[in-house]
Amino acid sequence: MRSPLWLDMAALVRALRAGRALRGLGSVAVQGTVSPQCRNARRGFHCATLLRLADDSKSGTSVPPPSFHEVPTAGESSSSSEPSEDGQPNTSYQDQSGEHGEDYETEEQLQVRILTSALEFVPEHGWTVEAIAAGAETLGLSSASTGMFNNGAGDLVLHFVAQCNAQLADTLAEQHNLVQLGQAESKEMAEFLRDAVEMRLRMLIPYIDTWPQAMSILLLPHNIPDSLKHLSTMVDDIWYYAGDRSTDMNWYTRRAALTGIYNTTELVMVQDSSPDFEDTWVFLDNRIKDVVNMANTAKQVQATGEAVVQGLMGAAITLKNLTGMNQRR
Amino acid sequence: MQRIVRPQLMLRGSQQTILLTAGQPCINSISAVPFVRGYSVLPPTNDEEEKSMLHRMMRVDHAGEYGANRIYAGQMAVLGCTQTRPLIQEMWDQEKKHLSKFNEILGDNRVRPTLLLPLWNIAGFALGAGSALLGKEGAMACTVAVEESISEHYNSQIRTLMEKDPEKYTELLQMIKEFRDDEMEHHDTGLEHDAESVPGYQLMKAIIQTGCKAAIYVSERV
Repeated sequence: MRSPLWLDMAALVRALRAGRALRGLGSVAVQGTVSPQCRNARRGFHCATLLRLADDSKSGTSVPPPSFHEVPTAGESSSSSEPSEDGQPNTSYQDQSGEHGEDYETEEQLQVRILTSALEFVPEHGWTVEAIAAGAETLGLSSASTGMFNNGAGDLVLHFVAQCNAQLADTLAEQHNLVQLGQAESKEMAEFLRDAVEMRLRMLIPYIDTWPQAMSILLLPHNIPDSLKHLSTMVDDIWYYAGDRSTDMNWYTRRAALTGIYNTTELVMVQDSSPDFEDTWVFLDNRIKDVVNMANTAKQVQATGEAVVQGLMGAAITLKNLTGMNQRR
Repeated sequence: MQRIVRPQLMLRGSQQTILLTAGQPCINSISAVPFVRGYSVLPPTNDEEEKSMLHRMMRVDHAGEYGANRIYAGQMAVLGCTQTRPLIQEMWDQEKKHLSKFNEILGDNRVRPTLLLPLWNIAGFALGAGSALLGKEGAMACTVAVEESISEHYNSQIRTLMEKDPEKYTELLQMIKEFRDDEMEHHDTGLEHDAESVPGYQLMKAIIQTGCKAAIYVSERV
């Protein structure tokens, strides 16, 4: 039985008002001044509920029928015109990519902030949800906001990997620019690769004790697509800035080789106990030399092969000449 | 997470700070960075979907020109000592120009080449050599079939780009149109030189065109 349109609208508006009120409460609750109270388990649950409800009302999921799309967005736009109500940091005036990105930061940005602050606690708690919880608490949020992360520790590790890769790409781009401007000398390819891999691996040093745990998390089946994507992006970046512009099978063989080098060096590094990981860098050096040797050998083999083929053709033609098969009549 | 990071990378690349020797930072001096060229065939984009569409197009076009190159190489290997040599050489040289242009685009835009290149290498050479063994008419028939497929493919790409945004893709459209006109010219040359007089012309043409369609389909995805 369908109730009249205006009744549904009234119910919706009421629900929205309630949602907005709760969100107001929630934003008050998550402000720093109240956080010590939130640490108490019961209050923590209360805060989490508020945070969840706030999220829900923001995304409009608690508001019923999908046929009334216009009303939730009208509610949101009217709520977004009241920025004073919102106690959360406004970091996203320039960011329109979130579904509610007008005057508060998107969920993704919040997640990034939490994960970044969680990294401090990794040496203490390992790559676990506890570290994320500790990070969230530092930001003044309840520890139950780890519920935002469906993948738990996997999210933390993947975030760290993405952050390191971005840092690496930025540094390589800067170096590339300097070289292009003539303010720095360009490195030889082997040296460049060595330096890039070393730079990237050095980013692991603060977390090296817990890194085996992170590696095993990255190898979990549901994390493999993401970790492979990060790895391939990183390797592609390194080769691009090393000057590789190949458009044939070399594209694949080079990236495969560098992936192998990186992974094996990473494994050596987690077991290395020498001062400043000297053994690791020596190992890296040797592997890169191997690959360069292999490439040179391949070129030599190809050249030799071509020369041999030419020789055989010449011999065949000579034979044909000698036996008179080559005469044209 | 990667989604947030990558677009920033591309933006950062075009907004690099330049460190002056005196140590004064020069912030956001976009004009002075040579890293982003003024002219480029592919329009720079931050949209992942558009980027992957453009990359796919360039990948398959590159594979196509590579294959065409190998076909002419095969034909030349068989008919290199005959009268048709200059004709094949001329068409081959134009394909070489196309291929080098695509190599440049792939390198500049970090487009991954298709994994099946060795396959197209062998298949193209075999097709060219095999058709040339049927004589000059066979080689011309093969040329006609392949060039017709490639022209059709370029036409459909032109249609797609025109539907999306003709102004944004002006350079790209111009390039594809130019290449398509070259391929049509090859097609007409083939017809002029007795392509249709090869025995089994229709069958051969159908088989080759089906093969080309399959190759295009696969190269777009792998």
